[in-house]
Amino acid sequence: MKRIEILNFKSPNRAPLIVEGFLFGEESKGPSVAIVGAMSGDHINQLYVASRLVDYLTHKEEEGKISGKILVIPAVNTYALNMGQPFWPLDKTDINMMFPGYAQGETTQRIAAKLFESLQGYDFGIILEGRRDQGMCLPYVKLIKSGYEDLEAAKDMGMRFIHYREYSPIETVMLQYNWQLWGSKALSLVFGKNGSIDHRSSGEVHSALVRFMAKHTILDVSSFEGFSSNVIGPEHITLLKASHAGIFDSLVACGDTIEKGDTLGRITDALSGKKLEKIIAPLGGIVTCQYSHPLIFQNSIAFRIASLN
Amino acid sequence: MSVIEEVFSIDLPVGEQFRIQRCRYTPASGETTKRISIVSGIHGDELEGQYVCFLLGEWLRANPEKIKATIDIYPAINSLGIDSITRSVPFYEVDLNRIFPGSKNDFLPAQIADGVVSAMKGSEIAIDIHSSNIFLREIPQVRIAKSQAQTLVPLANKLNIDFVWVHDAVTVLESTFAHAMNTLGTKTLVVEMGVGMRLSKAYGHQLLDGLLNLMACEGFLDIKPLDVRMPIQSHVGEVAYLNASGPGLFVPSIEHCQMIEKGSVVGQIVDPLSGQVLDEVIAPIGGILFTLRAYPIVYEGSLVGRIFGENE
Repeated sequence: MKRIEILNFKSPNRAPLIVEGFLFGEESKGPSVAIVGAMSGDHINQLYVASRLVDYLTHKEEEGKISGKILVIPAVNTYALNMGQPFWPLDKTDINMMFPGYAQGETTQRIAAKLFESLQGYDFGIILEGRRDQGMCLPYVKLIKSGYEDLEAAKDMGMRFIHYREYSPIETVMLQYNWQLWGSKALSLVFGKNGSIDHRSSGEVHSALVRFMAKHTILDVSSFEGFSSNVIGPEHITLLKASHAGIFDSLVACGDTIEKGDTLGRITDALSGKKLEKIIAPLGGIVTCQYSHPLIFQNSIAFRIASLN
Repeated sequence: MSVIEEVFSIDLPVGEQFRIQRCRYTPASGETTKRISIVSGIHGDELEGQYVCFLLGEWLRANPEKIKATIDIYPAINSLGIDSITRSVPFYEVDLNRIFPGSKNDFLPAQIADGVVSAMKGSEIAIDIHSSNIFLREIPQVRIAKSQAQTLVPLANKLNIDFVWVHDAVTVLESTFAHAMNTLGTKTLVVEMGVGMRLSKAYGHQLLDGLLNLMACEGFLDIKPLDVRMPIQSHVGEVAYLNASGPGLFVPSIEHCQMIEKGSVVGQIVDPLSGQVLDEVIAPIGGILFTLRAYPIVYEGSLVGRIFGENE
C-alpha cells in the first residue's frame, strides 16, 4: 500500500488541508477502481466505511490478494470533519457541487479539480454518499442516467435496490455525473444517517464493495452473493408525509417489510404532548428511507416506501 | 391600498410557523391581473433587498394614487435564515436558490421553493434582489443568461443599475428562482449589489429609483419615467477574475468601484504571523473594479475582485 498525497492546500492560519489516498495493487495487473469517502463534514459513516476498507485491503495486500488497482480516499473535506460542519468552513460551499472543478477558480473548485484529476483513468468509480436531507435509508446504489452509466456493473454490488433515474440540474456539478462523462463507470452508494455511524449499514456497504471488487477480479477473495438487485425509479417510491409538526417517533426500521394499514410512526405535539397523528401505510412494501430527526416539520417526508404496486 | 398577506406557512416542530409574507399594493379600484413581484431574502445573509423593499413600501404608502397595477413586495423569503444570519435554509443547510422550482413532495426547502413559485406565478415581472454574499462587494448589476438576453436586457436597462452582465447558460443555474420564473413566463431579473450582512444605503436609493422607473415604463405606476443611468453592457468588453494566489489576509489597496489601470495593485495578501507581504494582486486588465473582496481572509483561489474592461 502506498499512502499518497492527493492534495495539500494551505490555510491562512490552520494546518494545511491534506487529502490522502491509499493505493493498493498495480494497474498492469487488472481492472482498477477508485473509492471516494467523506466529501462532507457530516458524512461520518462514509469515512468509517472507507477507513475500514483501507485496513481490510492492507491485510489482503499482505496476503497477496490484490489483483487490480484500488485507490481509496477516505476523506476529502477534513477541515469540515474536524469542525462538525457539513461544508467548506469558510464559504460553506459543498465540494460535491464543484465538479469537474476549475484549477483557476475559487477554492473549492480548485480542490475539486485536484481531486478529480487524481480520479482519472480508473475503470470504476465509487462514491460513498450520505443523504442530502434529514433522513436515514437502507443502503442503495444511486445511478443517474448520464448516457455513460453502467447498470450491469451497478448490479454487481449485490445491493437490494438500485435507484436508477434521470439527473437533476444540480447533479451536473456533482462527482458521479462528471466522473461518468470522463470515462469511469461511476456510481454512488448512499447509506446511513449523516453525523453518525450505523454498523449494520456499514457492514452491508463493506460487503458490497468487497463483492464488487471480487466480481471484477480486482480482489482475489471469495464473497457471498448479494441480492439480485431491484432496479427502481421514482415511480416505485411512495412518499408518506407528516401532516403535523412535532415530536416524531418511528415504529419501523429501514428495510422492514410492511403491510397496508400498518402504523409506521407517530407524531405528538412538542409542547402539550397531545397525540396528533399516526402515520399509516397506504400500501404494502419496503421502508427504504425515513426521517431521522426527533423533531419533524409539517409536510416533511416521514417515510419512503418502495413498492411494485 | 395595501394588505399584508401570508402566502406560505408550514408548522415548525415546536410552537412556531415558518412563513412567507408579502405586502400587496393595489390601485384604489382593486386588484389587477397585471402584477409585479419584488423579492428579497432568498439567501438569509443578504439584506440589501430588505432595505429596498422598505424604501419602495414607504414610497407606495405615500403615493397610493400613483398605483396602476398590483405590486407585491416579498422582503424575506428565507425568513428563518434572515433572522439567524444564515445564508441557507437552517436545519437543512440547503441553498434555496439551487432547488427551484421545488416540489410539494420533497423536503422543506423544496416545499418553500414550490410555495414561492406558486405565490408569484402569473406575475408579469419579478425582481429578485441579492447582495452578493458576505465575501464580496458588488456594484448594482443585473445578471442575465444569454438565452434570455433579448427579452431581459431592455428591462434591466430601466433599473438604474451600473452593469448588465450577460453570461453563458450553466445547467446548474436551471435550479434558481430566476430560471424557474422565466420558464413560467414571468420576466425575472436578478439584481446583485452591495455586500452580505450589511446595508449600502446609496445603492438602496439607486435601485429604488430604478424600480420606480421600470414600473413607470411598464405601466405599474402613474408617474413620469425617471432619468436613470444607462448601465455598462458586458458584451462590449471582458470580465477579468482576480483570485488569491495563496492564503492570508487580503488588504485592498484601492476602493471598490474605481477605474483601474492594467498592472496596478488591487491589494496585498499578507501574513499576520510573520509580518510578510506574501503577494500583490495585480490588475490583469484596465477597467472598472466592479467586485472587491469585503471579507479579508483568503485561501488559494478565493475571489478578491473582478474587473470589467471595455474592448479597445
